[in-house]
Amino acid sequence: MNAHLRRTFYLFVAGFVGLVVMLAYWQVYSREALANNPENGFQTQRSISSPRGLILAGDGETVLAKSVKRGTPRGPVYDRVYPLGAAFSNVVGYWSTRYGATGIEISNNSDLSAIAGEPETLDDLINWATGGPQPGNNVVLTLDPELQELAYQELSASSTGRGAVVALDPQTGEILAMVTSPSFDPNQVDENYPELASAPNAPLVDRATQSLYPPGSVFKVITAAAALEAGVSPEDEFFDSGAYELPGYTVNNFEGKEYGEVTFTRALAYSINVVFAKIAVTIVGARPLTEMALNFGFGDPYDDFSVPVSGSSVNSLPPEEWTTGTLAQTAFGQGEVQTNAFEMALVASAIANDGELMEPRLVREVRSPDGIILDKPTESVRRQALPPSTARTLNEMMQQVIIQGGLTEAEIEGMKVAGKTGTAESGNGLPHSWWITFAPADDPKIAMCVMIENGGRADRGALPIAARLMKAYLEEGV
Amino acid sequence: MTQRAFTPMVLALLVTTLGFATLIFVQEAASPPLIYGAYYAGTLFVLYLGVRLLLPHSDVLLLPIVTLLTGLGLVMIFRLTYNVEGAHKLALTQAVWILIGSGTMFLLVLFFRNYDRIFDYKYLLAIAAVFLIASTFTPAGYTVNGARLWVDLGPVNFQPSEFARIALVVFFAGYLAEKRDVMAATSRSFLGVQLPAIKYFGPVALVWAASFGLLVFEKDLGSSLLFFAVPLLMLYAATGRTAYVLLGAVLFSLGSFVTFLLFEHVQLRVQSWLDPWRDPDGTGFQILQSIFNIADGGLLGTGLGAGFAQTIPEVETDFVFSAIASELGLLGATAVLLAFLAFTYRGTKIALLAEDDASKLLAFGLTAMFALQTLIIVGGVTKAIPLTGITLPFVSYGGSSVVGNFILTGLLLLVSERAGRREAEGLAYRDGPL
Repeated sequence: MNAHLRRTFYLFVAGFVGLVVMLAYWQVYSREALANNPENGFQTQRSISSPRGLILAGDGETVLAKSVKRGTPRGPVYDRVYPLGAAFSNVVGYWSTRYGATGIEISNNSDLSAIAGEPETLDDLINWATGGPQPGNNVVLTLDPELQELAYQELSASSTGRGAVVALDPQTGEILAMVTSPSFDPNQVDENYPELASAPNAPLVDRATQSLYPPGSVFKVITAAAALEAGVSPEDEFFDSGAYELPGYTVNNFEGKEYGEVTFTRALAYSINVVFAKIAVTIVGARPLTEMALNFGFGDPYDDFSVPVSGSSVNSLPPEEWTTGTLAQTAFGQGEVQTNAFEMALVASAIANDGELMEPRLVREVRSPDGIILDKPTESVRRQALPPSTARTLNEMMQQVIIQGGLTEAEIEGMKVAGKTGTAESGNGLPHSWWITFAPADDPKIAMCVMIENGGRADRGALPIAARLMKAYLEEGV
Repeated sequence: MTQRAFTPMVLALLVTTLGFATLIFVQEAASPPLIYGAYYAGTLFVLYLGVRLLLPHSDVLLLPIVTLLTGLGLVMIFRLTYNVEGAHKLALTQAVWILIGSGTMFLLVLFFRNYDRIFDYKYLLAIAAVFLIASTFTPAGYTVNGARLWVDLGPVNFQPSEFARIALVVFFAGYLAEKRDVMAATSRSFLGVQLPAIKYFGPVALVWAASFGLLVFEKDLGSSLLFFAVPLLMLYAATGRTAYVLLGAVLFSLGSFVTFLLFEHVQLRVQSWLDPWRDPDGTGFQILQSIFNIADGGLLGTGLGAGFAQTIPEVETDFVFSAIASELGLLGATAVLLAFLAFTYRGTKIALLAEDDASKLLAFGLTAMFALQTLIIVGGVTKAIPLTGITLPFVSYGGSSVVGNFILTGLLLLVSERAGRREAEGLAYRDGPL
């Protein structure tokens, strides 16, 4: 009989082995697929039942997003709270179990999330081993909280209330402010999402990065860069007759003005369309102009940036197929040229930084809850937009924009400031108002682009706002 | 026979303590009254010492396994219910049932050392078992979750089938030991398969059919399966005839097919096993939640208290293993399965060493029941086989089940005592050291 008993026992052993194989199938082989199954709500459940990490501003103290514990009959859940609200919501984003996530909340989810990743510090390991709550890591941004807040207030109070500000440190690529208006309160997304998504002024769209606009004359810095590379010098003289006739297209100056004999520097300072169109058509050419724009980051989708960016573009046609009219319009940023404050701020920063366009960054570092640095992106050059000498010449010319152009409002006491205006025909209402600037011009600490949708003339819309923001930033001495 | 298991006992109690400590200090669960913990640890330790004293030759290693499994059960029941309104005292109730089970086992060990006398009452036990199962059809019986399994006896409610199955194993052990020789001899063959004599097979078939039939009508699929398979395995063990196994397989297929056609709840069970995704929020909900939870555990588990096993209906009874797999992971769940396998191994060893056929068959039948019950419910919650609602021995919440399994363990200890004593005496006759 014992042989039968043994045989039956082996049968049971086989059964137990089968169960372990079955478990391994679920817990190892199919684990990922089951976790992502739409019927499986555990990931969402877990995301609210453990605290996410903090999102902090560049000072390392100002809290932009935190998880707040709330007791429920089924155990504690964590609500995501954004103490500074709408001013930062385009960057920080929102975290909603119903409407998904945006901004840093999603781009750095694996850092912020309490469940992702293997234990990295001793505390992590202890928590993990004991099954304790595992708070996510903290993400420190590069944003200057005061500048961001102030910029949001300025934009909200602007003539249309619609616009964007992007400011960065040209030497490091750290984004100091990235603001859009109108914005939304990320604390109320669950309640207000349907209204926000259908609102005519599109508060969910980040105008700084996601919308595209004709840049108008701020694009002339790129044309000027191409011209300098083509051998034009700042002192070269050009004649402006007030109009430049091309087959099928006539260039006129802003407000129909006529300047006569001017230097290249003055042509930039007065933003003379006729001179820039002539230089583009007769000296630069379509391909070098396009290539210069590409050097500055046009056509770059910035896929690796923390928030989604709509890439800027010069024209849908290859330069070989442009008419001279297209080339002339492109020279002063009209035609099909499409860009946004993010790209134009980078253009300004590259000129300020001797032609080096630094990698733009929103995240300074990732720290564990107990303060250990887990990740710290290093600064790097993303592209060499211009040779340093050309960049310095253009820098000088942009300083003259303020001096010769009489833009006294943009001046800052005790330092050199460079800038360029843009008043871009939008085809719909008042022109868009642009201003790019950087200062101090000889040792740049900040480069900025302000854009007011339908804000009218540059010197009345964007420029005064930028001037106040620049002064506030440089005088607070950060 | 292992006669000393002090360290394993201490380790088993430490594991339980660690589990509770994790829940209380890490998950911030309100601590249950500590006195219950003391009662639990004290009772099982006294039980261990009592068994050592009363049955000095028995295979006492079974007790640390029981301690580990009941302790793990308490931890999991506490974890799954401490924050559930209306159920937060389940762990305490379970602790009380463990005390009652331990007491029952102690009495068994104390008074039934000559256990083989019960084989004289095997027919009585068989009739009693059938009546026990049938008692749920009396007005005292009632239905829970569609299965009429419960009897209300005033102060206590119990599931008679949990005890009836032990009585039946005793009956089959006694009967088969008596008739195994004549049953092994075959009289005729059919299609090349040798058939047993109806005369001797009759009583077995009768008791078998009666209990099986009743359970089918009670809609208790898990118990039906056990009541079907355990006697079959005992029959095989007693006679060594694969004909019985084949016959059993044919009968099983036939029976399964008929019940499938007859009962809607069986069809639903099979359907939700084959394709739970068809109705993920209805009939497939329970098994899908179980699978999601098991998968969620991964290799190392979420950690105690960090999983979502509370989403599974009936998690503290039938689905407690899913919660274990979720929070302790593949490694923890495998360790628990190994504990069950260790129990099965010790039970089989007791059967191998038992001196007489009846004891052998008794120990084997009880062990087979224990092992099969584990395989059926764990197989069910992992979707390896269709789900049938039975408890995971010692771990699941449930008074009748816990007490029944303590009785089962007590009987195994009694059988092992006799085998162990014979072994010891055999050694005494021998000259010199081993």
